[in-house]
Amino acid sequence: MHKNLYLLLSTVDPGVIRTSGCRFLIWALFACLFAPVTSSAHLLNMTELHLDSTHPTSTQLTIKIDLGQSLMTAEEYWNASTSNIQEQSIMIDRIADQIKSGVWLMVDDKAVDLELHSWNLEASSLEAIKNPFSPQMAQLVFDLNSTIPSEGSVEIRIGEQLEVPWPALLRMDHASSPLPISRLLTESERSSRPIAFGGNLETPEEEFSAKAVLAIQTLVPGLKWIALGFQHIIPKGFDHIVFVLGLFFLSTGAKTLIWQVSCFTLAHSLTLGLATFGLVSAPGAVVEPLIAASIICIALDNLYSESLARWRLMMVTLFGLLHGLGFASVLSGLDLPRENFLSSLLLFNIGVEIGQLTVLVMACVTVGWMRSWSQYTERVARPATISIAGIGTYWLINRIAFI
Amino acid sequence: MKNKLGKARHFKNAVGILFVVCSIAIFDVAFSARNNPPLLFPLTGRASGEFPDNWIHGSKSAMDNTDPAIQVHAYNEHTYILRENKAINYEGAFMYLFFGNGVAMLIDQGSTSSPALFPLREVVDQIIRGWEEQHNQANTELIVANSHLHGDHYAAWNQFVDRPNTVMVGLTHEEMMAFWQIENYPQQIVTYDLGGRELVVTGTPGHQGSELAIYDGWTDLLYTGDMFYRGRLYLEDWDAWVTSIRKLRTIADRYPVAHLVNNHIEMTQQPGVDYPIGTTWQPNEPPMEMTLDMLDIAVEATNDIDSPGIYIYDDFLIYNQIPWYTTTDP
Repeated sequence: MHKNLYLLLSTVDPGVIRTSGCRFLIWALFACLFAPVTSSAHLLNMTELHLDSTHPTSTQLTIKIDLGQSLMTAEEYWNASTSNIQEQSIMIDRIADQIKSGVWLMVDDKAVDLELHSWNLEASSLEAIKNPFSPQMAQLVFDLNSTIPSEGSVEIRIGEQLEVPWPALLRMDHASSPLPISRLLTESERSSRPIAFGGNLETPEEEFSAKAVLAIQTLVPGLKWIALGFQHIIPKGFDHIVFVLGLFFLSTGAKTLIWQVSCFTLAHSLTLGLATFGLVSAPGAVVEPLIAASIICIALDNLYSESLARWRLMMVTLFGLLHGLGFASVLSGLDLPRENFLSSLLLFNIGVEIGQLTVLVMACVTVGWMRSWSQYTERVARPATISIAGIGTYWLINRIAFI
Repeated sequence: MKNKLGKARHFKNAVGILFVVCSIAIFDVAFSARNNPPLLFPLTGRASGEFPDNWIHGSKSAMDNTDPAIQVHAYNEHTYILRENKAINYEGAFMYLFFGNGVAMLIDQGSTSSPALFPLREVVDQIIRGWEEQHNQANTELIVANSHLHGDHYAAWNQFVDRPNTVMVGLTHEEMMAFWQIENYPQQIVTYDLGGRELVVTGTPGHQGSELAIYDGWTDLLYTGDMFYRGRLYLEDWDAWVTSIRKLRTIADRYPVAHLVNNHIEMTQQPGVDYPIGTTWQPNEPPMEMTLDMLDIAVEATNDIDSPGIYIYDDFLIYNQIPWYTTTDP
């Protein structure tokens, strides 16, 4: 450590040293009081660990370390690097034992032993080894006595008894992971903490919910498209919800409601399909204000009609065609798969219908039971319809003004 | 009578509808006022900024240094430049914090790991809190990224690993490129949307094999990391650096550049003279930011240099494939 400090100090502007008037005193103070600070400055020779578990039959841990600045003296390292292979082997075995007792590798909380496989000692000169600015790195490759399973966790810890040039960059490659995983070990954070591989990437709760979703998707492959269709009514399709409620508040009879919803559904399914195939299209700047206008029309008709007129069904069908164009603009952003285009479109539509039916069921549960009440029309349907008309008017103004 | 009743009914309906429209409008306006409009980072024009007159530059005696561990400088309201105190680490590395809507990106994490000596996370959290208060923002996500993979630029990376609402880009080449969605390094030039702030990112190897340059279209700052700064440009791959420095020139031709900003200062104000490696006091530092003229000189140098060695220019030294510890000192 101290020889490193001297080297570091010798690189400082000589003028700085001269003005102090006492080089030794500064050197001593520097060495005693600022050793931790300057030691962290040697970032060129930081340690690197690479755990490679991409081969099915073997796993290796490669450690690149500045041995001449850490576990050996510069002279020892120079001797080792210039010795013949037998002598080198004896010296490196001693270092490997130190590393094996200081580096703990845990696979699924079980310790794994390391066995030295090979090594390479880089050293251009003794002076270069001594100079902290010219790191001469040794590379030691260890075999693990077991392979890392496709699912599991790995933790690497550098024990307190092993001092390496810090920080230590850890890289893990695993066959089940498309990207490597990196961690930084420092003097105060010597563990990588457990790193999950394969399917074991989430916490137990997350794992359970992810598995449940996957299981449902496996059972019903089109669930995703049904869910997306549903979401485009609840909660994203507020204007469609309001329109469907407009249909709901026209009359007290279930038959009237079923006729209207059927016409609306058939119509918007038709334009949704045609628009998805590119056979019809209309700009959003036109469709969106018209959807708002359709809500106003339905609400006003509710206020002044007592029963379901035939022309009302035609109007609902027309508005259905319009709403289908609105859905189509959303669907175009979803990028339906080419290979399952028709089934995905159908499933999306089913999701939309389920969403609409959910709205109607909720309306029935909330206010439908009051339909037999003599004041239902005046106290429930009319205020609700006025609100629907108001919302439609606001949207119409807003969409014309801002689209 | 019936007509009168009908008119009254029309009137009541109309008033009711108007009431609903007005109520929604009032609610909408009030709600919009409560939610801040998004921060805008237009590419037209230039968001100006200022550099400090002097950066903290160490002191004669490290033990007597009274400067903060990290100097925080607001280049402008959404751009911060941080410098590590040279008394803590001679590298005196610069770090950058860019803000966008709902997100901040910290580029590089300095040369010291210890939070006691170098409390980078604490400082970054303070900046983010202050920025959120100033701009009525909340839950700002932090992205911890790196210009390249040398230890003097990610030593404090660990301080952020357990930070909530934080994306750690990673310290391998593959993780970095996956984050930026660079599939063809270093040629590919990608655009990254940092909360409405457009960053143009591309590979610039030469000094290190994972280095990136980042152009911020809002401030017109071109961040060149360690591959071009006022100091010793240590080049491990000359050919790659030549391509990279020429690419920087191409980017500067394509986009308006206000300043080139980077990671270190190692030169003195005397042309061609650097501070010795390891210096912890640099009282005579030039500014950190560089100009396009300096970039042109570097581009010109690529035509002249044909062998390894040290090449001295007024504002930088090119260390072409020679050891880091080699010095120009007499």
